[in-house]
Amino acid sequence: MKLLHTKLPEFIKKMQVAAAEKGKKPKEIKIMGLENLRSAKMQSLRTGRIEHAVGELAALDNVENLELIVIPRVPETMQTVIVKGMNKDGKCDKAVLEIVNILHPTEEAYLLDCDPENIDDRRPIIGNH
Amino acid sequence: MAKLKYRMIPEGMLNGKLIPLNIVLIDYKDVKDCGLEPKAAFEAIAKTIDAPAGLNIIDLDAVTTTSDGIVVEGAIIRMAASDRGRINKDFGYLEMIPLNYTDEDIKREPHLKVWKDKYPKRTLYMGPDYRKKKIPVHNVVITGRAANNNSATEMMNIVTMEEILLPILGQLEIMKDGKVLLGNTGEIISVGIGMVVPEEYGRIVPKRQYMCGDTAHGSGEYAKTLKKHIPIICVEKPVLARYIIQALECGMVPGRTIGGSPAVLTVAKYLHKKIDFDNITKKAYEELASVGFTKEYLHKDFPLLTAEEIIKRADELIPGCEDYKIYDSKDIVKIKYAEC
Repeated sequence: MKLLHTKLPEFIKKMQVAAAEKGKKPKEIKIMGLENLRSAKMQSLRTGRIEHAVGELAALDNVENLELIVIPRVPETMQTVIVKGMNKDGKCDKAVLEIVNILHPTEEAYLLDCDPENIDDRRPIIGNH
Repeated sequence: MAKLKYRMIPEGMLNGKLIPLNIVLIDYKDVKDCGLEPKAAFEAIAKTIDAPAGLNIIDLDAVTTTSDGIVVEGAIIRMAASDRGRINKDFGYLEMIPLNYTDEDIKREPHLKVWKDKYPKRTLYMGPDYRKKKIPVHNVVITGRAANNNSATEMMNIVTMEEILLPILGQLEIMKDGKVLLGNTGEIISVGIGMVVPEEYGRIVPKRQYMCGDTAHGSGEYAKTLKKHIPIICVEKPVLARYIIQALECGMVPGRTIGGSPAVLTVAKYLHKKIDFDNITKKAYEELASVGFTKEYLHKDFPLLTAEEIIKRADELIPGCEDYKIYDSKDIVKIKYAEC
């Protein structure tokens, strides 16, 4: 299990199912931060833990609906940028590779409405997984 | 209970310029008087601010350098970013390291001769230890919406995406209750901040990546647009002039041992000091020319002025900063206290 990876659509479906099935009534989950990904393999062990967390929150009577937000763990990411010039046949005629550094807000920006005492941080230290 | 004093420029509009987050400056002496470690001081102050903030602890007894290699009195020794009282445990706090440089180190970073000549007993700080920090590229701390970048001289709200430049000398002047300029960064400073010197632990660029005389921007005529419209709080020009003059009088040569920024070149020209024109790279000349510092202009004869005359006429002589006004820092800074 630890070495397996989950397909992106399957990851999304697992979260939707956990939100729908673990509470007394079906609950919606809004998934953000994966919109740019067309295909990806997600770490399976963590997928299971996240699915469990979604189910845990969905089971709370006070919870009406859920949000799942994926952000970079390290809030400065260097990205490769691929610039493609396409010809009339839709084929790439020339391409340029560049980089761009992005500064991202950390998790606090998404948790301003949550009392710190109610945040259960289950992440391992940076470098462990 | 003891109280920890701090200075704050609050988030919001300030005389037509946007302060994108709360800017907090803390005197290291006040931290020590409270018996606090710097990180605990940041945490105590962060608890008093229910919004994004960039926080710096400043040791006025230390020394540091500007991006163009001018040694100045005072240094930022710790930096933090907070949001609604929280400081991110991994990325919200960073320490600058005291540099026990030898004469060999100073051969590689010759602008530091000014430190040895003028401030031999003061501790030198520049940036953090790049081997230890968790954020890979910039010397930045981030918590939530707040980012405090470039070793605490550029602060941003990453959600509104607005930022402000806070060059070191302006911060030091606020700590001394002096005068500062508040304006737009403009084209001259946008170009000037690219004229860096090689520093292993540089506040902006570490690992001695650029030789003196080169530009860290390397973006031709676009360099002048880099920070043009961004607000800036910086030092009054006579203070800047005084430090540049001190460096030149210690034997520093623009383009060879200190950066050839427009401000440095201007003061050198009026003092009739040597400039290493041959060591300034083609890319740096291109950026300088885009703001009027063409080779022709730089080789023109300037009237010889004394140091005193340059300092007195600094506002008129030294270019940089647009649409600015001069303020007593006490008129833009609030003195506040945190329980400690």
